[in-house]
Amino acid sequence: MNFRTTFSIILIFLGILVALLPEQDNHAGHLKPRTLANFIGNTDMFITVDQVARMVLDEDSTMLLIDVRTPEAYRNMNIPGSVNIPLQQILNPDYEGYLNQPNTKNIFYSNGDMFALEAWMLATRVGYVNNFVMGGGLNEWYQTIMLSEFSGDQISPKENATFELRYKARKFFNQMNSLPDSLKTGFLLAKKSKERELVGGCE
Amino acid sequence: MGPILIHSDASTWINLLTGFLIGIGFGFALEQAGFSSSRKLAGMFYGYDTTVLKVFFTAAIVAMIGSQLLKFFGLIDMDLVFVNHYYPYAAITGGVIMGAGFVMGGFCPGTGISAFSIGKMDALVFLIGGFVGAFLFAETFPLIQKLYMAGYKGPVKLSESLGVSDGVFIFLVIIVALVMFWLAEKAEVKFKRPDITSEL
Repeated sequence: MNFRTTFSIILIFLGILVALLPEQDNHAGHLKPRTLANFIGNTDMFITVDQVARMVLDEDSTMLLIDVRTPEAYRNMNIPGSVNIPLQQILNPDYEGYLNQPNTKNIFYSNGDMFALEAWMLATRVGYVNNFVMGGGLNEWYQTIMLSEFSGDQISPKENATFELRYKARKFFNQMNSLPDSLKTGFLLAKKSKERELVGGCE
Repeated sequence: MGPILIHSDASTWINLLTGFLIGIGFGFALEQAGFSSSRKLAGMFYGYDTTVLKVFFTAAIVAMIGSQLLKFFGLIDMDLVFVNHYYPYAAITGGVIMGAGFVMGGFCPGTGISAFSIGKMDALVFLIGGFVGAFLFAETFPLIQKLYMAGYKGPVKLSESLGVSDGVFIFLVIIVALVMFWLAEKAEVKFKRPDITSEL
């Protein structure tokens, strides 16, 4: 068999091999299971509702509140300043512009902890950084912020500050949630940052 | 070394040094394949010497098969490999101009540098022409910007637009390459010219 025939047979064999190879999920940013397990063990992923209330009232631009409930639940009631990315859409490339920002804290919340934690897991797994969960979710927000009451004769300065914070947050929450939908959706678009693009070639 | 996953933490100078060594290897391979000869390069268009087709098609196939195997073994992240952005009208226009220049000059930019490095004066003139062309492009860009940007499609891969997986597409390219190699052999026999390189 001459060189040309041998070469052609080897090439065809390699071509068939490559055509039959299964798809592999190798992405530089994605965390391997063991790395993810270590990360979970060594990181503090929870943020209290008081901390979130402070960030909302200060209009802290270094954080992004993400409501992982359904769009209907979000429209019904949400924490002012949050965007709605339903849990099933967390990995949708359209939302990468919101989530894949190294300088912004992604704070996930849902009614309780479960769905927010699932969203945290997914976002951390694909390599997004600075992910947090609002501990207790909207249930805790309701109990702590909305039903916050002072009782007793004396109040310490620290308690006074906390009470004031919760009072302002409650007021702001009620105000924003009574706005019409059109004003709320404009907010969503303003929050989306330019996605990071792969740079190279002649661009 | 960006897409090579096991080296993703290598320092900048290691990446640059690797690029430098690969560049040396590439130039060495070009020269050894005889691509410093403008007769050999122009022969691709006249049909009497199809070395260019064979070498570059083989290089493309090695790169494609190699990257797929590396991807399979988890050593490369194909998302980090830059895919050229597709400007159809600019690509066609530029291709026509480059093809004409290639046949007339007997060089393309890479082989021109390879030929210049072994002292060929026609390669130097060709490269100067290339720089002048690039300068003129930059200076006249506002006039041709519309043509340049027309029909922009983004970073498109052929396998995606054909709706097949990368592996299947590579197999199809291999089949096309083998057919082209066979046709190239036929063309070399048909358009044969006497070899004058030994007389020069």
